[in-house]
Amino acid sequence: MGCYALRSSSGGGQTDFSPPRRINPADVAVPEGYRVEIVATNLTYPTGIAFNDRGRAFVTESGYSYGEDWTKPRLLRLNQGGPPTVVAESPRDGPWNGVFFHAGYFYIAEGGVLDGGRILRVDPDGKISVLIDGLPSVGDHHTNGPVVGPDGHLYFGLGTATNSGVVGPDNKRMGWLPRWPAFHDLPGEDIILRGRNFESEDVTAENGRRQSVRTGAFSPFGESTASGQRIQGSLMASGSIIRLPLNGGEPEQVAWGFRNPFGLAFSPDGRLYITENSYDNRGSRPVWGAADLFRRVEEGQWHGWPDFSGDRPLTDSFFSPPGGEPPGFLLAEHPNDPPPPVARLGVHSSSNGFDFSTSEEFGYVGQAFIAQWGDMAPAVNKVLHPVGYKVIRVDVASGEVTDFAVNRGPKNGPASLIGGGGLERPIAARFSPDGRALYVVDFGVLTMDGSTPRPRRGTGAVWRIVREEGRP
Amino acid sequence: MSKAMSALSICAATACILLLMSGCGSARRSEPLTGPMRMEEPSVIQGRQVFSMHCHQCHPGGEGGLGPALNNKPLPGFLVRLQVRQGLGAMPGFSKEEISEKEMDDLISYLNALRRHGSTKEQRREKTV
Repeated sequence: MGCYALRSSSGGGQTDFSPPRRINPADVAVPEGYRVEIVATNLTYPTGIAFNDRGRAFVTESGYSYGEDWTKPRLLRLNQGGPPTVVAESPRDGPWNGVFFHAGYFYIAEGGVLDGGRILRVDPDGKISVLIDGLPSVGDHHTNGPVVGPDGHLYFGLGTATNSGVVGPDNKRMGWLPRWPAFHDLPGEDIILRGRNFESEDVTAENGRRQSVRTGAFSPFGESTASGQRIQGSLMASGSIIRLPLNGGEPEQVAWGFRNPFGLAFSPDGRLYITENSYDNRGSRPVWGAADLFRRVEEGQWHGWPDFSGDRPLTDSFFSPPGGEPPGFLLAEHPNDPPPPVARLGVHSSSNGFDFSTSEEFGYVGQAFIAQWGDMAPAVNKVLHPVGYKVIRVDVASGEVTDFAVNRGPKNGPASLIGGGGLERPIAARFSPDGRALYVVDFGVLTMDGSTPRPRRGTGAVWRIVREEGRP
Repeated sequence: MSKAMSALSICAATACILLLMSGCGSARRSEPLTGPMRMEEPSVIQGRQVFSMHCHQCHPGGEGGLGPALNNKPLPGFLVRLQVRQGLGAMPGFSKEEISEKEMDDLISYLNALRRHGSTKEQRREKTV
């Protein structure tokens, strides 16, 4: 203990990879009485899974990965014993971050790193309709979800443009700042700033001139702010949950103040929950040690970003980068006290798509099963060991977290690091319509070349976990 | 303090640090690998909730993550208590307002139970493979 500063980062992506990816369900450990199967392989950046009214499985391929690799976003029907069938595809503008089937249609959240986010509806013949477009999600995080609630409305998430509210050189490394130099975060209601500005190198300067700029919160790169400055709120806010009536009508903001609400699902009792990818130790306003969160969405409430991690204020020295100061507050006043999270998950675990068990036959009824994509160290921070790369379950009542599917071996990590043919980067978990099988979408191999992500096409997979008959 | 005493103190401190930094066996206590933990004592059950609230995020399940693994560190309870209160290196200290004395006792009970849970059929299985 006490050795954090002495040791180098050891994230799960900090390894080399030589294709092909090995697949071996026996290398994935699950609780006694459960069995792991492989359903599909050779997918490119799969992100979500949905089942039509006949129980057939469909998967989205993202069409984009961190590391700035573009392919075509696609909706695929999985076929037993054969290659998948392409149902719909888009020429560009991934990532397609998730899919949900409802009343005969597929609904897809299109991240929109090139043209802005959209919510798409795909009919059974593959015809794509646009329900809403122009969503402000061209930054670090994108348009997420979607899910249809018990009220028949479609809910989706908008991720923030930046790590912690300030555009900085890290956003050039993420790829989007040169494409969208005026883009920045948008609050969900009118806010008053403290006027804090952050100095950084002007990474937009031409001719290699090295000069510094000062950038304020909720402002374009290089634009400073003043104490007391008011920023107008936006319906389509960064880090918000939006509700869209499917039978016509205007979209509504459900809540804001999240960082990147990636996974959305309704619990068996009809409450909306999300997974929140939390702050990184990067950029002009780095935040250290912030847990990914599992949260219940409180309608009409601000949930803390960019001044809290859950209900913990960023004035706490807990969040100070080693040798640095706490990030402090950006807002002069906070809309409300942010509600506490249900559970604090691994720092940098990238806790993503999830679903609730509803079947006594599968077990753990009412618990949330969350896919953890895994860390992107050292770009997000130094970690001493790989974080994530597994499926966990969360007891919503107690907040207790328990592993459910992990790779075998003396240490945790993706198969590309620890060997074997197990999990790489689980990104979504969803139960079959009868609730008896948990499907886990595995994005595939993404290694880190220093701070640069290196995703590998054709390494994605879908796993299925079932309870064996006659077992406890 | 004499030079001999001073040297002895330094040696003892160094040995202690090396001991604390070294791991003893695998830190993995993941339920799919080791089976569910038996938690019959109320203090262990309560301690797990304290762990979930304050510790899990940096030491998931007592394994390594942002911070080092806990499950394979042979730290006695009083040193765990000291480190949680005072912090060490990048780890922050937790005040009695954040973790009460009773919660600290429960936390240490849970950490001890988690560490003991390591002698598992999974690890035995891996040794025979």
